[in-house]
Amino acid sequence: MIHAVLIFNTSGVPRLTKFYSTVHHSPQTLVQKIFSLICTRPAGLCNFLDAPELEEFLGKKQREDERLRVVYRSYATLHFVFLVDAAESELGILDLIQVFVESLDRAFENVCELDLVFHFDEVHHILAEVIQGGLVLETNLDEIDRSVKQAAQARKTSYASANPLSLGGSSMGQRSAGLQTPLGWLTGKLTGVGTI
Amino acid sequence: MWERTLQDLIRGLRANKKDESKFIAQAVDEIRKEIKSKDMELKAAAVLKLIYLEMLGYDMSWAAFHVVEVMSTPKIHLKAVGYLAAAQSFGPDTDVLMLTTNLVKKDLSSSPADVAVTLNGLASIMTAELARDMSPELIAMLNHSRPHVRKRAILVMYKVLVKQPDVKDKVMPRLRERLEDADAGVVAATVNVLCELARRNPQDYLPLAPQFFRLLTTSSNNWMLIKLVKIFGSLSPLEPRLVKKLQPPITELISTTPAISLLYECVHTCIIGGMLHGSSGNSLAQLCVSKLATFLQDADQNLKYIALLALTKIVPTHPYLVAEYQDVILGSIADQDVSIRMRALDLVSAMVDRSNLQSIVQRLLDLLAKPEAPVASSAAQSLAQVAGSQITPSPLLPLQTKSYRLALAQRIISVCSESTYANVTDFEWYLSVLVDLVYVASVDVGAAIRDQLMDVVARVRGARRYAVQLMAKVLADKTLLQDPKGEDSCPDALSAAAWIAGEYCSEMPNSSQLLKYLLQPEISALSSEIIAVYLHSAAKVLGHWAAELGQSWDDAYFQDLRDKVHMITEAEKAYASSNDMEVQERAANLLGLFTFIEADLASYRPAKENGIDFDGDNSSEFSTVVAADPRYPKSLYLLQPLFTSYELNPVAADAQLRVERPEGLDLDTWIVPPPKNPVPDAVVADVEAFLKPKTKKSKKGKGKERAMGKDGNSASNGIHGEGALGTQPMESAEEAAERAKRKVERLERLRDDPYYLVDDKPPSQVPDVDAIPVVKLEGMPQTSNGPQLASLMSSRTGSTTKSFDVDREGEAPTISRPHSSQAIADSDVALSTPAEYYTVADVSSSASPVPIQVTRVKKGKATGKKKRTPKMLDNGNTTLR
Repeated sequence: MIHAVLIFNTSGVPRLTKFYSTVHHSPQTLVQKIFSLICTRPAGLCNFLDAPELEEFLGKKQREDERLRVVYRSYATLHFVFLVDAAESELGILDLIQVFVESLDRAFENVCELDLVFHFDEVHHILAEVIQGGLVLETNLDEIDRSVKQAAQARKTSYASANPLSLGGSSMGQRSAGLQTPLGWLTGKLTGVGTI
Repeated sequence: MWERTLQDLIRGLRANKKDESKFIAQAVDEIRKEIKSKDMELKAAAVLKLIYLEMLGYDMSWAAFHVVEVMSTPKIHLKAVGYLAAAQSFGPDTDVLMLTTNLVKKDLSSSPADVAVTLNGLASIMTAELARDMSPELIAMLNHSRPHVRKRAILVMYKVLVKQPDVKDKVMPRLRERLEDADAGVVAATVNVLCELARRNPQDYLPLAPQFFRLLTTSSNNWMLIKLVKIFGSLSPLEPRLVKKLQPPITELISTTPAISLLYECVHTCIIGGMLHGSSGNSLAQLCVSKLATFLQDADQNLKYIALLALTKIVPTHPYLVAEYQDVILGSIADQDVSIRMRALDLVSAMVDRSNLQSIVQRLLDLLAKPEAPVASSAAQSLAQVAGSQITPSPLLPLQTKSYRLALAQRIISVCSESTYANVTDFEWYLSVLVDLVYVASVDVGAAIRDQLMDVVARVRGARRYAVQLMAKVLADKTLLQDPKGEDSCPDALSAAAWIAGEYCSEMPNSSQLLKYLLQPEISALSSEIIAVYLHSAAKVLGHWAAELGQSWDDAYFQDLRDKVHMITEAEKAYASSNDMEVQERAANLLGLFTFIEADLASYRPAKENGIDFDGDNSSEFSTVVAADPRYPKSLYLLQPLFTSYELNPVAADAQLRVERPEGLDLDTWIVPPPKNPVPDAVVADVEAFLKPKTKKSKKGKGKERAMGKDGNSASNGIHGEGALGTQPMESAEEAAERAKRKVERLERLRDDPYYLVDDKPPSQVPDVDAIPVVKLEGMPQTSNGPQLASLMSSRTGSTTKSFDVDREGEAPTISRPHSSQAIADSDVALSTPAEYYTVADVSSSASPVPIQVTRVKKGKATGKKKRTPKMLDNGNTTLR
């Protein structure tokens, strides 16, 4: 299964950490350790992180079967890191990262780091349509996209009904924009921030 | 009325980079207020901010109750926040989890969107209780009308089955139906869950094999195929007929699939299922290897990585197929990518055999010495070079990290020592490799090198002469002493060098030279364990050399002898006040001996016999020799018998087992009768039952002692049983005493308590703690070369080599009863072994209250009858039988 999904940027700042099992390190030390190893790897090397110090870090005593593997992929300023065990195929996970990033891209339209920063709850919801509890839920991009949109729509409707004056179109995080300031509403529309 | 939203918080964080902690402290204060608000929107917003801060490393466990509150709102946009917070912050011991049961139940019967959110959250927070309480609803949900919900329910089932395996019987029929589901995504999810489950417990899923097989032959979804092949990998070892059935479709997949990930899984499953045996298997293996080999040269590093992984799995059964690509593989060891290098290293060590060991190790050594250097000259030449001149450490490649160098050095050692040096044909070569390692490793693998050196020299007689000469060079090299405690060098190897030089100095023509190296002032910087070995070895060397002089005594030697003795005395004097106990004791002991010798030399008059007869009383064998020709100082022969009377051999792993029990030693009678029924027998029986498998397990863990189990003579079984029992008494006695003490205290307290009736009888028969025999371990001899000897003990089995006679089995007693001289010999050797191997470590490990009984080890000590021959077995064995 997948034990963790981590997203951090090129300075090692976490943008999303999701653990599906208890890893015997705090999330922060894990991110730091993996970041320190990944950031020294130039582009063009393979996407599997394998280093002697990492083996010790993740627990060497385990059987070969249970050895955790780190599969990562870097996009612009972000590193997407999956921690998986032997039940997952390394190359399959690599594809899965691609699927995840593409669904982020569809949801945010040309996703960039800032989208992930300001909508980290949305990212969690999208991830929830790909992986549930460490097991892969769906790998088909269109299917994921549809579920993401459905869930977002449900939240949006619920939000709109709870805040009748908010003019809708805004997710949970847009509460300040919902405070009936026409200017705020306008900016929200113009920048397209709330159009998820 | 202006609350910060998550966006405001994030903006604030970005604006306050300098003063982040202060900003966050302020934000958390606000959150604490907001989270108590009656307004659910506000509460949820506060929780959302907390989730963000949690990601940055701030605690949010205090808000668990509020998270549950947010989970319970009917509005989905808030509920989603609540479940997200729960998934992110709840652990198995979050106490509010028990509040969620009804909430989750309710949510599961709500709208599909709610159900999806709930199932997703539930997958993360599942506990055994939740699994038990929720399973009826969840099982029903496996037949939900929406595929999306079915998928989620199936995945949650995995967590339920992990936490609550009892529900399996109810779940399996439904899961089985889902394999036939109309929705491809649902089938894939089911396969996914079953793959995880089959890995844990394959035999339960064998009945599903036909369905899996149908999917394997009909599906084209690579993702699911990978999982299916993985499932068959788990199942096929249990059912040989399955292997036959699988062969055609898997062969088909291997030859047609363009996806290397699938290919890799197929190869893996073929190997696990043993499909590569026989003629058809061979052609399959050939197909696999040739396909994988093309990926080795691929520009895509990922494919290269996977190919190396897969080849490593094939090598054990089909080494000759992989050997064709040896050059490419060896090239990968120097790849710029450390991930590739690690996998290539694995593959290369799996490829090693007798014929290619030297070339492969040389390649690895070159990597350590100078990355990407052309293949250097032979090991001997490079040794001469390193021994002669100082090697300046070459600048490291950025990727040549310390940990990688360490892994590389350790790999070289493990490759060579595999199965008791099964692949090493030339031990002089291996010794020189080890010495090369000392020079080029630049990481601390000293302990491993030390153990190897000593092990090889003890086992391989033919290599001793070369070893001593090599070690003399190592000892003479002052560059090794420059970084005596550093992490980047291998000072521990010096300890082996000193020990070998001392123990086998008879192999060296002019052994007195060694004294100079062993006593050079620079050694004082070394760690104390090593100094102790140096001092001891110096005494050994002098003992040997002096005895040699005695053989052909000439008064011309006298001055030289006196100088050397003086040199040692001076050195011992310096160390006799060492801060380290071990060094101090050795130095003081030796100082005593050498003062003796000095006194003898001082009174010696050339060509006259007026030496004092030192040896008369302590060594009968030698006094006869001495008496025959007393023309030289008699103290010449004082030292040698102390060190060389009995040869130090590796000990066989089952030596202890072969010792027969001395007559009259009754292990079954009590030394001290057990206290009157301190615990019910049933408890004792329970504990025994609990302990027995444990002891067996620890025995198995040793691996190499397998032979013992096979031996299985009646004595061993009986003794084994006693060992299990006998390990308990110490603790039990203490416990009994403790309990009795507590009882007395309680009675004391209750005496004045009007609500209790106190009987006036004195507390019955408190066991006397002092009367309990406790093994005194402090008295055991403690020598500092313990750790080195440890290597000698690890006796492994393996095949033999041609030119070098390797003592793989080790020494074992052949006689049945200890007889005078042999017994002394054995006990003599035993005394030189480290006490820790006697330590009855397990005695203290069991906490069960059991009547006092003494293990055989102790009793043997106490009576002094037991033969102590088998010295240095690992502690597990010593105590267990």
